[in-house]
Amino acid sequence: MLLIAALLAVQLGAALPQSTPPRTIAIDQRLAEDAGLRVGDRVEVAADPDARGEIVIIAAITRRQADPSEIARAEPRVRLHLDQLQRLLVYGDRVDRFAVATSEDSVAAAVLRINDAAFGFRAHRSTDIAVETSETFLVVTRFHRAIGVITIVASAIFLLCILLIKVEERRRDIAALRLMGISRATVLRMVVAEAAVIALVGSALGVLIGYGVSAAVNAYYQVQYRTPLRFSIVTPEIVIFAAVLSLVLGVAAGAIAAQRLVRTPPLTLLGR
Amino acid sequence: MRTLLRHRARTALAVLGVAVAAAMLLDMVMLSSGLRESFAQLLTSRGFQFRLAPRGTLPFDTEATIARGTSIAVRLAAHPDIEAVSPVLGSSLHMMSDGGAVTTFGLGVHPALQGDYTLERGKDIIGSEDIVANEDFLRLTGRAVGDTILLAAGYNPLLRAATGERRLVVRGKARFLYLSAAQPAVALELRTLQEMTGAAREDRVSLMMVQTRSGAEIDTLGAWIERVAPTVNAISTREALANVDQRLSYFRQIAFILGAVSLVVGFLLVTTLVTVSVNERAGEIAVLRAIGISRLHIVQQIVIEGIVISVLGATLGLALGLATARYLNTILSSFPGLPEAIDFFLFQPASVWRALGLLVGAGILAGIFPAWRAGSLAIAQTLREEAVA
Repeated sequence: MLLIAALLAVQLGAALPQSTPPRTIAIDQRLAEDAGLRVGDRVEVAADPDARGEIVIIAAITRRQADPSEIARAEPRVRLHLDQLQRLLVYGDRVDRFAVATSEDSVAAAVLRINDAAFGFRAHRSTDIAVETSETFLVVTRFHRAIGVITIVASAIFLLCILLIKVEERRRDIAALRLMGISRATVLRMVVAEAAVIALVGSALGVLIGYGVSAAVNAYYQVQYRTPLRFSIVTPEIVIFAAVLSLVLGVAAGAIAAQRLVRTPPLTLLGR
Repeated sequence: MRTLLRHRARTALAVLGVAVAAAMLLDMVMLSSGLRESFAQLLTSRGFQFRLAPRGTLPFDTEATIARGTSIAVRLAAHPDIEAVSPVLGSSLHMMSDGGAVTTFGLGVHPALQGDYTLERGKDIIGSEDIVANEDFLRLTGRAVGDTILLAAGYNPLLRAATGERRLVVRGKARFLYLSAAQPAVALELRTLQEMTGAAREDRVSLMMVQTRSGAEIDTLGAWIERVAPTVNAISTREALANVDQRLSYFRQIAFILGAVSLVVGFLLVTTLVTVSVNERAGEIAVLRAIGISRLHIVQQIVIEGIVISVLGATLGLALGLATARYLNTILSSFPGLPEAIDFFLFQPASVWRALGLLVGAGILAGIFPAWRAGSLAIAQTLREEAVA
């Protein structure tokens, strides 16, 4: 069945008298929910709100795909048979576009051949159209990336500060260990290992919070934009990146603070 | 102050952390209101309160047009609350050159009433053969003010020939207010563009802009316009802003969330630092209390510590925030189809001071808990513990 998406007035009421049995249409879930329509209902479709249209039967309710370009489009959708829509719009034998299926290897050749024929239209590769229509999302991605960098800088400073304080708090313990004869290298390793454990535990907790926030973001925006699209995804790469970053920062902060402490004479650390 | 200087690295990191949090907070405050304010300024800059678009559409959202533009404009202009009606037709135009055709956006306007462009150089449109063009058009075509050019309304690929051609003179250089950056554009007499686009566009317009007299009841007038012209949607500036709010609510929400997170991060950072500082100086504080220094004085000293970190961080954050806002604005300004004049991050002194005030307030609050703990230390017990340690 050849279908085409269209914007049409869908209404209940008096329609043009019809001699043929009503044809079928598919409507999208948003329209079905907003207008309280179900499969099997009879509705009138017209090209203009003031014009009298044609009675049709709702044969299917479709769900929108998880397509980012659909987010800002709030208008309901109706799918009809091509000839039916052409008749309603008094469109003649015209169509807005053709979708042409080819094998992957012959796409470029097919585009060239169609354009050379110059029928009055141009052929575009699906990938080119995808690039053109996804420009908005590329801008949003760039914005998210920039915000992400600022957040990482803020988190890094926070982590460094906390770990410096944490190590500084151990000055008396470190002094006692040094006075007992424990070597500087051993004390350094101990402090760095402690900082690494704190960083790892913190990042594990952060990942859990991240999963929770991501689920909340998806739940909120999926309801708001009425789409199955996932707005936030915590990928293994993101988890690894966060864990490695916090580990590196934790170890670095621990090492810097511990270096300062082990070089200071133990009695000075004790305030004597 | 001496306490902060005693641990320079730690204090510097805390100030830097608060600065980044302040910068983020500032950026998010600018983002949350910037776009709306910027759009409002753009919409009201030329004094038009209504945009009339074909029914069911937004201005230039589709290729739909309004039929019988002249008679509708005349009827609307007769209303005592309406100052002026400016009809606009938009269409693609093509200029053939050796390197191929340059496609530009053409606006058909009444030059005396138009609110779409401001003239930067040369003269405005006077006759039916005059056009004004923007910088991008002149750069792309290599033409200058004073040149005569051949513009076509269409191109027939079957005949490989231009249709609706017209020889026109570039009278001036203009800046188009509602067009996106790098969009080549020209403006010409409405009648000329209608003639070029052929019978299908005869007396049709894409949009009408309506200027009202002061004191006009906008809602009542909007309803009247839609009664008089049932084929149009009368979109007031307030409705247009509400539409922008709805379409771009994502940015407001992300600004609110990240702003709140920044505030919490700043608060936590100051609390942690001041708490650690109090713990380290427990003995010193106990001695001060033992020699008769009042509890209030101790609390004041510690709260001041939090305030100093917050104020230093906020000051540094102001500069950092303005720099990052400019960078983020450059990214978002490349949104396809967004008018060049729109700013996502708008510096509004009142909002900015309020945000930074909020951060310093959070810093004061952050210092209160450790200060209260310091003030409530059991003097004898603390001194004994210090002596044992």
